[in-house]
Amino acid sequence: MKGSDVVIEHVRKSFGDFKALDDVSVGIRKGEFFSLLGPSGCGKTTLLRIIAGFESPEGGAVLLDGRDVSPLPPDARHVNTVFQNYALFPHLSVFENVAFSLRLKKAPESEIKAKVAEYLQLVELQAHAHKKPSQLSGGQKQRVAIARALINEPSVLLLDEPLSALDAKLRQHMLIELDSIHDKIGITFIYVTHDQQEALSVSDRIAVMNAGEVLQIGTPQEIYESPATDFVAKFIGETNLYEADVASVSGETVDLSVDGFGTVKVTATEPPPVGSRVSWTIRPEKVRIGLEEPKSARNGINAIAGVVDEPIYSGFQSKFYVRTPSGLVLKVIKQHADWSDDGPEIAWKDSVWLSFSAEDAYIVEVKR
Amino acid sequence: MKRVPGSSGAQGGLYAAPSIFWLSVFFLAPLAIIVAYSFLTPGARGGVEWTPTLDAYRAIANPTFAKVTLNTILVAIGATAITLLIAVPCGYYMARSERQTLLLMLIMIPFWTNFLIRIYAWIAILGNEGFLNDILLATGLAKQSVRFLYNRGAVMLVLVYTYLPYAILPLYSTIDKFDFSLLEAARDLGASKLGAINKVLLPNIKGGILTAFLFTFIPIFGAYAVPLLVGGTESYMLGNLIADELTKSRDWPLASAISLVITLVTTIGVLLLLRANGNAVLGGSGDGEPAVSEPAAAIGGSR
Amino acid sequence: MSRPATRRRSSFSRSVFVGTIVFLSLPLFVLVLYSFNASKSGSWTGFSLRWYVKLFTDSPQLWRAFGNSAIVALSSALVATVIGTLGAVAVNWYKFRLRAYLRTITFLPMILPEIIIGVSLLIFFSGIGMRLSLFTVFVAHVSFNLPFVFLLVLARLEEFDFSIIEAARDLGASERQTLLKVILPLSMPGIVSGFLTAVTLSLEDFVITFFVTGPGATTLPLYVYSAIRFGVSPVINALSVVMILGTVLLTWSTRNFLKYIAAK
Repeated sequence: MKGSDVVIEHVRKSFGDFKALDDVSVGIRKGEFFSLLGPSGCGKTTLLRIIAGFESPEGGAVLLDGRDVSPLPPDARHVNTVFQNYALFPHLSVFENVAFSLRLKKAPESEIKAKVAEYLQLVELQAHAHKKPSQLSGGQKQRVAIARALINEPSVLLLDEPLSALDAKLRQHMLIELDSIHDKIGITFIYVTHDQQEALSVSDRIAVMNAGEVLQIGTPQEIYESPATDFVAKFIGETNLYEADVASVSGETVDLSVDGFGTVKVTATEPPPVGSRVSWTIRPEKVRIGLEEPKSARNGINAIAGVVDEPIYSGFQSKFYVRTPSGLVLKVIKQHADWSDDGPEIAWKDSVWLSFSAEDAYIVEVKR
Repeated sequence: MKRVPGSSGAQGGLYAAPSIFWLSVFFLAPLAIIVAYSFLTPGARGGVEWTPTLDAYRAIANPTFAKVTLNTILVAIGATAITLLIAVPCGYYMARSERQTLLLMLIMIPFWTNFLIRIYAWIAILGNEGFLNDILLATGLAKQSVRFLYNRGAVMLVLVYTYLPYAILPLYSTIDKFDFSLLEAARDLGASKLGAINKVLLPNIKGGILTAFLFTFIPIFGAYAVPLLVGGTESYMLGNLIADELTKSRDWPLASAISLVITLVTTIGVLLLLRANGNAVLGGSGDGEPAVSEPAAAIGGSR
Repeated sequence: MSRPATRRRSSFSRSVFVGTIVFLSLPLFVLVLYSFNASKSGSWTGFSLRWYVKLFTDSPQLWRAFGNSAIVALSSALVATVIGTLGAVAVNWYKFRLRAYLRTITFLPMILPEIIIGVSLLIFFSGIGMRLSLFTVFVAHVSFNLPFVFLLVLARLEEFDFSIIEAARDLGASERQTLLKVILPLSMPGIVSGFLTAVTLSLEDFVITFFVTGPGATTLPLYVYSAIRFGVSPVINALSVVMILGTVLLTWSTRNFLKYIAAK
């Protein structure tokens, strides 16, 4: 595996009264595609800039392969950045932009030619080498920025919301391309984004951040399936999140009494004691919806009656907001399969039954 | 191209006519006259005789004039260079500051005073009984008054003082448009601080630097009042020469010829710079709009 | 986000800037100081207001020069504004022969050193036999003010989408109505700043005026010039301070006026 591991230890940074990073620690493995995910202002870009060397932390350390690089200026770190707005030098051609760091090192002309050609090929821009940045499309600029950052053969590539300036279709395409570039060169990628879809689809692991803190680090599956906090649950994908009291515990199955609603069975690896106040979640796509009461009310299946408040049809799926008699509203997503599987159509004001397995419902946070 | 629909040239021509008339008669025609006069024989008490001659141009070539020309070039290049060396960091600092309006005011306020009064203020500072000598004598640093005025140094100092804002303003507005993340990108790619400034900042603010150069070099090259008031005989410049030929020697063809030389040097210089840089020179950062009006007007044009 | 780090880095440019401010304000400081000096000679002898008293009660020539300056400034600015505004409207929105020519002759005066304009006008006036007077000063001032007004108004007009003119025509406005009801009100901030710039330039001008002025047509800068050349009276110091205050006041009210216009 090429690349470096990056360890961030207890890093703190504030701007005036604003705490941008509050004792942040993250370990990033060699060759990993690692995402820093969070809403704007959560500190993810500040953390990236600290790794790059544009900001210095007020406390803590940044270790590259075990060496503390926090006192080093940006040009002395074996780390390169793809900037959010590309930051291409407008006075230089595509070729010269990519050649920039080689020229600084006074590399021989033949080497410059060969390497620039190699990296332009990597991003499929050979034909545009002579153009100025202003003559390129957004996606092309993005690729120049990537080639320019990679030509130095950094051990870590930092990407600061690199796709935010592109339109949705192009974003999808570039994401796949980034992923394949990562596979090809195999160095560590640290990817900053506020878009959970992006993060989920390409990352090996994700750190979810909010208000200067890291809330959870894990694989996309872990983050999505078992969010560590209410914030993570709400930020990643769509979810139903409620509070409840623990009524009884048997093994890993917990009976919760949900306010004005009745009992719901959920799963918890470390069940909290009876009487605790908790938050729990069930993803909308894990809930089945039907006009009839589920037949086999076997153990571990929750069945709830309700009325469709709002059906939202979007082609391959439909989303329903279902109101239970107690007033609780659940989001449900139903994938449209073929006619045999789809069942009768569900419309506005229909009385429906919702069911979900205890194994798909989790306790997120223990409140007290 | 945006044009009023359905209107022939008539309406636009009507609106443009007064400007065209005024500038043709009171700007272009006088220029044409000095071109013509420069090839004629001087009249006895000013004016010209209608006998064509190249005497005026021969006179320019003589050593006395050559010395003044050389001095003018030296002073203009020196003062412009000093001005730019100060103005680039100033513009950079202002563009990076969060209190730009305040800093702009600080630069501008001294220039709300009349041009001559500012020259006079320097006389009050540098004169034999001036502020600086007062201090030197009072502190015992000097036994007798030091003569600061009436030499080339004083001329350059006051010229730099006078034209500094003309250089700072276009540089500031160009650097303000510069994307500073480019400096970070350069640093990220391995450039040192100075390297990033040389390889990325300076090439990208070239338009501003050239505008600043023109705004300082041209008026300094044609300077008249400053060398007259704070210069000595050895710091005489072409502007003073013209005035002398016009009012003292009454050699109008010679005055015209010198004026023509200055005009040509200026115009050709501007054209060359414009060509070298497309529209970038007078358009600040190359957006094609003339940025001339903005800073010049802001200063209030104390040329 | 990058600001805090970079502020620290710009310490060199910061010290150059601070030095520049000191350099630029030093002369003003000295002027203000000496305007309160009791003695006539350069050295400081004590606080006094005598030069202010003399300025306001016993300086008839100075006030005559000031009057001349005011007359020339207002009249030349007014004429330059009217002519220059029409020219800018023409260049921005109309196609006509000589359009390129007009752009060139409005640009040239701005790049030529003042002395060239002064000298060529002097030769021109005497060539056509026009006696030098306050009128020739007025003509010269219109000539160098016009390009500034033209460019300032043009810059303002260029901000506007041409479709508003088409809309006006579409809604039935004639050419003249379009000019009066749409174009001029829109360009008012440009026109006002053009006028004020012209006034300032005119009040400031020394070199051009020096060449084209005639007997009895002394303007304030010319008065200051002769005061410097032929014996300085500290009244000049007091005058400078009054002028600085006047300019500050004028600039301040101009800014508010422009804001008021822009907000309308």
